[in-house]
Amino acid sequence: MPDHTNVMVLDDEPIVGDRLRPALAKGGFDVEVFTDSAAAIERLKQKSFGVLVTDMKMRGPSGMDVLRFVREHAPNTQVIVITGYATIETSHEANALGAYQFVAKPFKMRELVKLVEKASKLTVS
Amino acid sequence: MDATTQPAAGRPPDAPGAGTAAPHEHDVSNPAERLRRAQHALLSRRRLSIRLRLVASLLLCFGLCCAFAVAAKNLLGRARGKLNLLQTIERLDDRILRVRAFEDEGILSGSDIEKVLEGSRDAEDLFRKETSALQAADREDLPALLGHLGTYRRLLTAVTAQGRERGGFAVLTPTQAAKLRHAETEANKLLEAMIRRERVSLSAIFQLAGTGPLVLVGVLLLLFAAITYCFAKALVNPIRRFEGYTSRIAVGDFSLIGPARTYRDEFSDLAVAVNQMLAALQEQQNRLVKGARLAVVGTMTSGIAHELNNPLNNISITAETLMEESTTLTDEDRWRLLQDIYFETERASEIVKSLLDFTRQEKREMVPLELGEIILSTLRLSQNEMNINNVTVAYDVPPDLPRIQGAANQLRQVFLNLFLNAIQAMPSGGVLGVSAGVRDHGGVCVEVRDEGAGIPAETLPRIFDPFFTTKEPGKGTGLGLSVSSSIIKKLGGDIQVTSELGKGTTVHVCLPRAEEQ
Ligand SMILES: Nc1ncnc2c1ncn2[C@@H]1O[C@H](COP(=O)(O)OP(=O)(O)OP(=O)(O)O)[C@@H](O)[C@H]1O
Ligand SMILES: [Mg+2]
Repeated sequence: MPDHTNVMVLDDEPIVGDRLRPALAKGGFDVEVFTDSAAAIERLKQKSFGVLVTDMKMRGPSGMDVLRFVREHAPNTQVIVITGYATIETSHEANALGAYQFVAKPFKMRELVKLVEKASKLTVS
Repeated sequence: MDATTQPAAGRPPDAPGAGTAAPHEHDVSNPAERLRRAQHALLSRRRLSIRLRLVASLLLCFGLCCAFAVAAKNLLGRARGKLNLLQTIERLDDRILRVRAFEDEGILSGSDIEKVLEGSRDAEDLFRKETSALQAADREDLPALLGHLGTYRRLLTAVTAQGRERGGFAVLTPTQAAKLRHAETEANKLLEAMIRRERVSLSAIFQLAGTGPLVLVGVLLLLFAAITYCFAKALVNPIRRFEGYTSRIAVGDFSLIGPARTYRDEFSDLAVAVNQMLAALQEQQNRLVKGARLAVVGTMTSGIAHELNNPLNNISITAETLMEESTTLTDEDRWRLLQDIYFETERASEIVKSLLDFTRQEKREMVPLELGEIILSTLRLSQNEMNINNVTVAYDVPPDLPRIQGAANQLRQVFLNLFLNAIQAMPSGGVLGVSAGVRDHGGVCVEVRDEGAGIPAETLPRIFDPFFTTKEPGKGTGLGLSVSSSIIKKLGGDIQVTSELGKGTTVHVCLPRAEEQ
């Protein structure tokens, strides 16, 4: 059973992790931040997370690759995909792969925290 | 295997700009004015059309043949005249000889005398009748001959008269016989001489008739050779020249054709038409270049949006943190957050600036430029593509590189094309090498290397062709390199591609140095 308060934030923009970590921690989550998607996948193999917040375009495995990995290896983890440039195709693809939400940059942090809370509750039930 | 290709072939030396005698010196940059001047230079020469020359040489040959025919007919007429004359003279001679045969019997019977007299009269008649012909042949001997014949006839008439008186027999006295014989001999001698002369002149005529055709054949041969040479020159040389024009047009050199000779002919009309076509092609090419720029911008839009949204997002969430946590943050934290906002704003404005640089309409000004700056700003534009494809940059451009003469936006477009090509050649990642330096000839050269699959030798010569692409439809327009090479050529530079299959591709771009004050 994944601990639903475990949240992973993956974005190759370091500022995103820096800002989200304290905001989510304040909401009572255990937050781990990654800027490298390959390292993040390694971590996902070891530990189960309730919610994964991931960027779409990254060097190395993309957000879509991480999403695919999670669907296969950690089906209970809810995935929120954020992206700098949303096209209809990518959002369709993310939805087809069972992403919980698709969020476009720039996002409001307060809204993202709310989304994470909702997603983590989904993990419990 | 290592191969090299370059887009520009050598242009024929006489081709562009040969006509410098232009009526107006202003506005050479205007393509319509350039076209007008080129056409004027082509058309203002004296016209000497190939058709005219063809007709003239055929008329010359025809005239020569006619002259020969007339001469041959003339010669034939003369030969016929001589033959008739010869016949006449021989007949005369024959009569005289016949008369002499009678005389030799010594005593002439009445009827014999009649016959001789008749023969002599006959000869004289013939002689008078043919006077004109004989006169033409022999003016001096004629009166003498006529004198001899007259003497002869008178003698014979006298003898005949005596004979009749004596009852039928005419006997010549020895003096009469001697006189008669003398007249005969003289006439005979003259006639024989005439025959000899006529024979000689007749044989000369025949000789002329025999050699004349040979001479004609010789002259015609020479004439034909000369005509062939002239026409070969008038036809083959322009065709060669036009071959040169087409091959340079094929590689995108659209400079107009100028006059190469001092006169104009049908080929000049062709040159005028080709110039018209070149002007249209140039216009089309310019439109394409503009369109290709827009297309590149189009493919960049998603990347740009992504690039821009990242710093915007960073600014937005950092500002949000500042607002939400204003009471709990330490001064140090606050300082760090503000710094983040500051630098992310900077980052966003850089992106906007390079995008503006790229799309801004060209003033086409050639100014001294720092190549390094241009390369760096273009690399920034392709950063997103590189991230997606796991491409890293090995940047080796010395900061003290001499400045080059060029137009910044056009050069950015060239390097963007080259970087995108290199990145697209390495879909599973690799190193994009960018290095630069001064080369022997004094120009500044940039090398863009990739570790992609390389280009097969058979496609290498075609990569600069407009619309040549090996990429899927929708992915590549095939205009990147053709537009790039036309830009580099316009800036007076040179672009070459070397490639090794399986190892990678290197594009060399060389540009002239700026004149430093
Ligand atoms: N660095 C390279 N490595 C391998 N092949 C290349 C490279 N650069 C160019 N080519 C080949 O040359 C062709 C023409 O390139 P060009 O830039 O003119 O058009 P394109 O890249 O196909 O289209 P566009 O530039 O519009 O995206 C490419 O399709 C590719 O086959
Ligand atoms: Mg290209």
